Amino acid sequence: MEPEAEATPVVEMRNIKKNFAAVQALKGVDLTLHHGEVLGLVGDNAAGKSTLMKVLSGAYIPEEGEIFIEGKKLHLTDPLHARRLGIEMVYQDLAIANNLDVTSNVFLGRESVSTRLGSFSVLNSRQMEQEAQRLLDRLKIDIPSVRLLVERLSGGQRQAVAIARTMAFNSKVIIMDEPTAALSVAAISKVLDLVRELKAQGASIIIISHRLEDIYSVSDRLIVMRNGRKVRDCSVAGDIDDFRERVVAYMIGARDDFAREADTVAV
Amino acid sequence: MAFKDFLKAQQNNIREYGMYIAFVVIVVFFAITTKGLFVSSRNIGNLVNAMSYIAVLAVGMTLVIVIRHIDLSVGYLAGFLGAIAAISMKYWHLPLGATIPLVLALGVCAGLLTAFLVAQMRIPAFVATLAGWLGFRGALQLATRSTGTIVIENPTFNALGNGFIPDIHGITFLPGIHKVTLLLGLMAIILFIIGEINNRKKTQAYHFEVLSLNMFMLKMVFISAIIAVITWVLAGYQGLSWAAVILIFIVLIYDYVTTKTVVGRHIYAVGGNPEAAQLNGISVKRITFFVFGSMGLLTALSGMLYASWLRSATTIAGAGMEFDAIAAAFVGGVAVAGGVGKVTGSILGALVMASLTNGMNLLGWDISIQYIVRALVLTGAVIFDVQTRRGAK
Repeated sequence: MEPEAEATPVVEMRNIKKNFAAVQALKGVDLTLHHGEVLGLVGDNAAGKSTLMKVLSGAYIPEEGEIFIEGKKLHLTDPLHARRLGIEMVYQDLAIANNLDVTSNVFLGRESVSTRLGSFSVLNSRQMEQEAQRLLDRLKIDIPSVRLLVERLSGGQRQAVAIARTMAFNSKVIIMDEPTAALSVAAISKVLDLVRELKAQGASIIIISHRLEDIYSVSDRLIVMRNGRKVRDCSVAGDIDDFRERVVAYMIGARDDFAREADTVAV
Repeated sequence: MAFKDFLKAQQNNIREYGMYIAFVVIVVFFAITTKGLFVSSRNIGNLVNAMSYIAVLAVGMTLVIVIRHIDLSVGYLAGFLGAIAAISMKYWHLPLGATIPLVLALGVCAGLLTAFLVAQMRIPAFVATLAGWLGFRGALQLATRSTGTIVIENPTFNALGNGFIPDIHGITFLPGIHKVTLLLGLMAIILFIIGEINNRKKTQAYHFEVLSLNMFMLKMVFISAIIAVITWVLAGYQGLSWAAVILIFIVLIYDYVTTKTVVGRHIYAVGGNPEAAQLNGISVKRITFFVFGSMGLLTALSGMLYASWLRSATTIAGAGMEFDAIAAAFVGGVAVAGGVGKVTGSILGALVMASLTNGMNLLGWDISIQYIVRALVLTGAVIFDVQTRRGAK
C-alpha cells in the first residue's frame, strides 16, 4: 500500500526520544517522509507532534534516536544548521517582521548582496524584488506588490509569504505547524491550494494541523500521535467522514496500531 | 494595481509628506511673524549650528528606538566626553588629531558598555541608561570639579561648531555671496538629479513601477528648488558651516547604511520582530551592540560639537539633550513600539523642534510658553503618526 521500497526517503527519523524533566514527550517515534509527499501529522494537544517537528528542525536535541536526510545521518545542532541542510519550518506564529516589505521577509537573514563588505554589504534590492515577484508568480500567490509592508497584508497573505519564503531557497523538507489556524475559510482554501502547488513543484512537506479536513484534502499519508507515540501510519484514502471517525478513534486512544510495543511501556 | 492598494502603498509617504508640510507651515509662520528675520541668512546659519548636536544624537537615537530600546544616558555622556576633549587639549596637551579619535573611541566604549548591560545582562535599556545618566553626570562633575568651566582655546576645534567652510578669494562676481557654498549646492543638485535618473532607469530595467514622468519631473524640480533656496540663503551669510557639513555627512552615511545595507535591514528586522529575526539567523545581540556602539560614537561627536559651539566644557553640559534627541526622533516619525522610523525623519524632527525654539525666541515668547508649544507639537506629531498608521491597516 505504500511506496516504501522506493528510493531513499527525504527524511527518516528512527526511535526519537525526548524528555522534559520527568515528562517523556517522545517515547521512541519513527517517521518517514518520501520525496514529493505531503505527510499529515495529527494528534491531541501534548501528543508530541510539535516536539517531534522541533527535533527535526533542530530546535530540540533528542536524547535518543537517529535522523537521516536523504539517507545521510545527521546531528542537528540548531535551527540554522537545519535550515542550511534544507529543512525549512513555517512557524505557527509565522516568524515574519510586519514592519518590513514582502521582499525583505522572503530574504530575511539571507539577503543577496551586490558588494561584499561583511555586515555593511550592499543589498541587491532590485534583484531580490524581482526574485520575490517570480516566486509569488510561480506559487500563484495573489499579493499586489512585493513592496507592500507585511502589516498591510491579510492573515492568509501573510501565511503565504511565510510559506513562500521556504521555497526561495533549495529546501528539501518544509514543515508547517498549523498553517491554517486563525485563518478565514477563504484564506484556508488558498493556503491549501498553495500546499498543493508546492507539492506539484516537487516539495516534500510535513503539515501539522488540528483541522482533519485540511489534512484529508492535501495529505498523501497520515501519522497520528498520542502521548508521545505514533499510533497510526497510513495513506489517506476513503471518504472524509470515515476518515475523520477513524482518525479520531486513534487520537483519543480507542485504537492503536503499535500497541504491542507500547504495552510493555505502559502500566 | 488597484487604487486601494496604491493608497496602501502610499501610506508611508503620506506620513512623511505630512511632516514636510508641517515643517513648511512652521517656517512660513515664523517668516511672516518675524518679518523675514527668521529666514535671514544669518539666523538660518545660527539655527543649523544650534541644532546640529541634537540632530547628531537624534540619528543615533532613531536606531536605538527602532530596536525597541531607549538611551537616557546620552546627554550627560555627551557633556562628559566634551569635557574630556577639553581636558585632553588643555591639560594633557594632546593635539586635536589625537583628541578627536580618543573621544570618539571613548564614546564607542561607553555605548558598548550600555549594550553589554542590555544585551548580555538583560537589563531593560531604560534602567541601564538611567544608571548611565546618573553615572556620566557624576563623571562630568568629577572631570570639571577642580577647574569649573574649561575654556577651549584650540581654534580648529572651535571651528567645528562655529566656523564656516572657506571661500575662494579674489572673485569679484557676486560680492558678499559665499561662492564655495553655491558651488556645493549646485553639485548637490546635479548629483541628486543624476542619482534619481539612474535609479529610475535601473528600476525600469527590472520592470518595476516608477513614478509617472510628470510626477518624476515635478519631484526633481521641487527638491532641486529646495536645495537651491537653502544654498542661496546660506551663501548670503558666511556660507555652509562646518557643523552643517558634519551633519550632512552623518545623515548621508546613516541613511545609506540603514536603507541599503544588510546590517540596516537587520536592524529594522530586529525592531519589527526580534524572535523572527533570531529564527532567521540574525543575531539580536550583535545588532544591539552595533546600535548602541553607533549611539556612543555619535554621542561623542555631539559632545564635541556642543563643546566647540560653546567654546568651552561646562559642568552641566548635555543636561536634557537626551530628551531633545528623543523628542526629535518621535516628531520625526519613529514609532515607540520599534521597527519604524527613518534617520532623515529624525533630522526633520530635530529641525522642526529647533525652528520652533528659534522662532519663538525671535518673537520674544516667554520660555514657559515655549515649553508648552513644544509639548503640543510633540504630542500632535505622535497623534498624527499613530492615526495615519492605524488608518493604514
